[in-house]
Amino acid sequence: MSHDDLRREVRDWLAAHWTGLGSIGQSMWETSDAMRAWYTKVFEARWAVPSWPEIWGGRDFSDEQTRLVIEEFARVGAPGAGQDRFNLPANTLLAFGTDALKITLIPGLLKREITTCLLYSEPGAGSDLAGVRTRVERQRDTFVVNGQKVWTSGAASADYGMLIARTDWDVPKHSGLSFFFLPMKQPGVEVRPLRQITDEAHFNEVFITNAVMPIDNLVGGLNQGWRVLQTALAYERSVMGAGARGARRGSADVVALARAAGRLNDPQVRQDIARVVALRRLNALNNARAKADLEQGTSSSIMSLGKLAMSRILHEEARVRTAIIGAESLLDGDAHPIADDVNFLALNAYFTSIGGGTDQIQKNIIGERVLGLPKEPELDRNIPFRQVRSG
Amino acid sequence: MAITTTLEERRAIADTVRKLLADSCTEKHVRATMETADGIDRALWSTLAELGIAGLLIPTRFGGAGLGPVELELVAEETGAALACTPLLSSSVLAAGLLMESGDEAACARLLPGIAAGTSIATAALTGERGSWQAPEVTVTAADEGGATRLAGVASYVMHAAIADVLLVIARTADGHGLFEVDPRAEGVRIEALSTFDRTLRLSRIIFTRAAAQRIGSAGWPAVEAALRVALVARAGEQAGGARRIFDMTVEYTRNRIQFGRPIGGFQAIKHMAAELLLEAESATSAARDAALQLAEQTPSADEAIDMAAFACADAFAQIAATAIQMHGGIAFTWEHPAHLYLRRARAYSYLLGSSDSHRERFVTRISAQPEDVRIAS
Repeated sequence: MSHDDLRREVRDWLAAHWTGLGSIGQSMWETSDAMRAWYTKVFEARWAVPSWPEIWGGRDFSDEQTRLVIEEFARVGAPGAGQDRFNLPANTLLAFGTDALKITLIPGLLKREITTCLLYSEPGAGSDLAGVRTRVERQRDTFVVNGQKVWTSGAASADYGMLIARTDWDVPKHSGLSFFFLPMKQPGVEVRPLRQITDEAHFNEVFITNAVMPIDNLVGGLNQGWRVLQTALAYERSVMGAGARGARRGSADVVALARAAGRLNDPQVRQDIARVVALRRLNALNNARAKADLEQGTSSSIMSLGKLAMSRILHEEARVRTAIIGAESLLDGDAHPIADDVNFLALNAYFTSIGGGTDQIQKNIIGERVLGLPKEPELDRNIPFRQVRSG
Repeated sequence: MAITTTLEERRAIADTVRKLLADSCTEKHVRATMETADGIDRALWSTLAELGIAGLLIPTRFGGAGLGPVELELVAEETGAALACTPLLSSSVLAAGLLMESGDEAACARLLPGIAAGTSIATAALTGERGSWQAPEVTVTAADEGGATRLAGVASYVMHAAIADVLLVIARTADGHGLFEVDPRAEGVRIEALSTFDRTLRLSRIIFTRAAAQRIGSAGWPAVEAALRVALVARAGEQAGGARRIFDMTVEYTRNRIQFGRPIGGFQAIKHMAAELLLEAESATSAARDAALQLAEQTPSADEAIDMAAFACADAFAQIAATAIQMHGGIAFTWEHPAHLYLRRARAYSYLLGSSDSHRERFVTRISAQPEDVRIAS
């Protein structure tokens, strides 16, 4: 099929089916009936994962053809296509899952009937994620899970948790990890909201006590979890590099904020505004270059920089916004919506500079994987995990 | 202006220039040229002219290559990386740009072919001793004396004036500003070479005392603005290229320099500096290329993109070159080490053709004039 024919086919299909979703958002955890119905339609028409094999709902399309489908959906603002690029659990399953698990979960994931959360970090394993201590043991035909996870968003509503856990304590830490899809709705899984510095509870703690799952829910093979996790983490970081949640009230841009505060003529404020607006634009340009490099088949060092850049953007913007409103930042709450938003952004910037790997961990990764600098010495790398110091 | 080359052709141009500079513009060449009175590598410039670089922007009917900002920027990344000492910015971009903007066909036909061939070096006197490169600062004035135009006043920070064959001067006139051609060797033109911090750069102060001048077209300050926009894109390219080169040299050094029994690049103190600088280097490249592309396509946001590239590339280069010395340690505190050559260039280019603060000010003026265009998705 020529590209023009394909473009026409997608356009015709969208013209016949897409009527808009009204005010419904497109966030990852959106689960309205209308959204599910639309995703189901997209899946059944085989636009959800065009580059995937036909048996899993794809069309065996080339990257170029897939890009074209995504473009046409984006042109009318329709979601759901090109999940082969952004649906983390589905892609993880396709790459590493057993056929039984794929059959059970993939259609539901692509139709948004099944939702997931990430069971990665633990109180004792933050930056050092390979140090997780949640334990999975095989008992006859099931896996039994015990441990505690943290920083899990969407845990209360999720059907499955993508779980990294320890399955062998007598090998070095990276070698004893396995990756699972844990059913969340069972008595052994308790979800408790976590009150954050922003005074919200977007994240949860998850306490897992003798939770169970079938043998087929192991993904990527026993003790092969670190490899699976790397793919999943890279995805999460690229998503975080693309942006972050705005303020509760949808704050105005810095220029409008300065104008409203009567500070747009202040030379210092003007310099600050130029700096932060430029940071955002530079990041967008970097991302566009990374994408272009990718499409031309050349690898790009820029991709890994996005999250680090975004963290700086968010902290700097918050600093400039605070400087613009000045003493008003002493205030908070619904009576002071501008100050409330600015203060929220100042605190929530840490979501990006800590979550998904801190800035400092990102700099290690960039230094080591992009620039080829020597790795950090790891005192725990080659000893059985049982002997690793913790605390 | 438009993009007339394919991606492959542009890569070929950049590759050719890169290879030429790798052979003919090594650190040794740069240091040798630095010590000469002229401050330009004439052999290199004539080779670059043969490749069409001296006339890159000049239309083919005036003997040039007829290319645009996108190709210019790519070439500038290479010349900037190598710290090439040539009149690319002064003659081929700024002076040639002024002539093309003037709309004076006769002056173009008379002067551009020599510039394109690299046989004639032209330069432009656009600012006074404060070096703001802005209209209110022009102090040279033009007056009519018995049918002949005479210039009086002082211009400064004029690149390569001491060796220029053609001098273009912006001067105040009864109707605002006018562009004038002056013979640099004429009576009433005193060119005083300035001692420069960046030894690869040559700057002069010029005192005009009833100097004979010939008006070029009816071009005024807008022509200067237009020529400066192209020059700032070239400057951004050179800054991005220079930033990338000194960054790469520094990372390479930290891979090989052993202290405490291991390469210093393995220490987080150094590794984290490198990661931060990589972001700066990539951002500079993105900004310079985007400004060139938008200028070539004449997009509505081209001026914003050029303002942003002007300060982003200047600041990135200055930060990278400065941090590079710290990352090297003592070795880069020596004259023999090339790091200071990049820092000198970076500092000089931060003010040549206007400061980062002034470019940020212009940027904010533009983005705050159209609030609906700058709303940031958060």
